[in-house]
Amino acid sequence: METYVDAIGVDTEATTTTETTAKQNKKKLKVMVAMDESKNSFYALEWAVEHLRDVISAEPETDQAGGLLTLVHVHPTYLQYIYPSGGTASAMYAIDSVPESMKKAREESTTKLFTRSLEICRGKLMKTETMILEGDPKEMICQAVEQTHVDLLVVGSRGLGMIKRAFLGSVSDYCAQHAKCPILIVRPPRETSTSSSTKEHKSK
Amino acid sequence: MATGEEKPVMVVGMDESEQSTYALEWTLDRFFAPYAPNFPFKLFIVHAKPNAVSAVGLAGPGAAEVLPYVDTDLKHIAARVIEMAKGICQSKSVDGAMFEVFEGDARSILCDVVDKHHASLLVVGSHGYGAIKRAVLGSVSDYCAHHAHCSVMIVKKPKIKH
Repeated sequence: METYVDAIGVDTEATTTTETTAKQNKKKLKVMVAMDESKNSFYALEWAVEHLRDVISAEPETDQAGGLLTLVHVHPTYLQYIYPSGGTASAMYAIDSVPESMKKAREESTTKLFTRSLEICRGKLMKTETMILEGDPKEMICQAVEQTHVDLLVVGSRGLGMIKRAFLGSVSDYCAQHAKCPILIVRPPRETSTSSSTKEHKSK
Repeated sequence: MATGEEKPVMVVGMDESEQSTYALEWTLDRFFAPYAPNFPFKLFIVHAKPNAVSAVGLAGPGAAEVLPYVDTDLKHIAARVIEMAKGICQSKSVDGAMFEVFEGDARSILCDVVDKHHASLLVVGSHGYGAIKRAVLGSVSDYCAHHAHCSVMIVKKPKIKH
C-alpha cells in the first residue's frame, strides 16, 4: 500500500483497515460556500467558519488531516443584458466588445470579495481555496457541487437580488432543491435588516 | 470551541421516512460522533405527530369511528420514530440528546421548537420531491428553509443514478 503525504504534511491514507473506519468517521468535511458581494454572504461565511470550524479544521494533536473550505463566486454573464436581441452571430460579436473597463471592474470587485473572505477564514486552521465561475449562479453552483463532490454547501438566505417579501433568495432556493449534496442555509440574526420598507416584517 | 454551559442548539426534525433516518445518521456522523464526549452542539430530536383528524382528511360518514384507530396508529408511529432515533444515537455513542414529540403540522412545529430552544441550526431531511409533488404534498424542508428563525440544513439522501 503506498503512502503519500498531503499538503499539510500528514499521512492520510496510510492506515490499516481496522483504523480506516475510525478515521472515516473523523474525516473532515469538504465544505463549499457560495459568495456574492452581499452582506448576507459574508455573514454566512462567518457563521460557517465559526460553527463548522470543528468539522473542517485539521487537528494537529491527533494528526487529523483537515477538510477543505472552498469559496465559490459566480459572475453572472452580462451578455444578455447588453445585446438582448442578438442571435448567434451578434453574440459572437458581443464577446469581443465586452468593454475592458467592465472586465476590470469585475475583477477588482472579485478580488475585494475574496480578500475579505479569506480574512474571515484566516487563522482557523482550515485549508481554503477560491473558485471563480461564470454563468447563471444557481446552475453553476450546483454544477460545481457535483464536480467537486463536496460534503456540504453553505449559502446565505438572501443575496443581491433583494425582493423584499421573499425570505429566501432565488439562488438559495434553487440550490436547496437541486444541489446534490446537503445544503446549509444561513439566516442572519434578526436585528440586521438592509431592506428599507417592510410591510409585515416577519423577521428572518 | 464552546465547552460547558452555552452550547449552540441543534434541532433535528424526524418523521418515519428513510430520508429522515439518513439525515440523522449523516448529522451524527459528521457533527457528533467524532467529538465524543464533547459534542459541539446540544441536540434536540423532534418528531411531529400528525393530527388524527388532519391525517384522515375529508371525512365521510364513517370518519368518527376510524379516528381512534388512526390516532393509535399515529401514536405507534411516533413511538417507533423516537425508538429508532434513540437507537441511532446509541449506536453512534451520542448521549445527552433530548427527544420530543409534538402533535400537529410538522412545519409550524419545527419552527416553534427552534424558537423555543433558541436553536442555532435546524436539520431536516428532504424527500426530494419534484415541482409537482411539492405543489401537491407540500415540502416541510422548503417551508423551514423559508420560515425558520435560524439557519437550516437540508440533508438529502443521494439518489442512485443509472
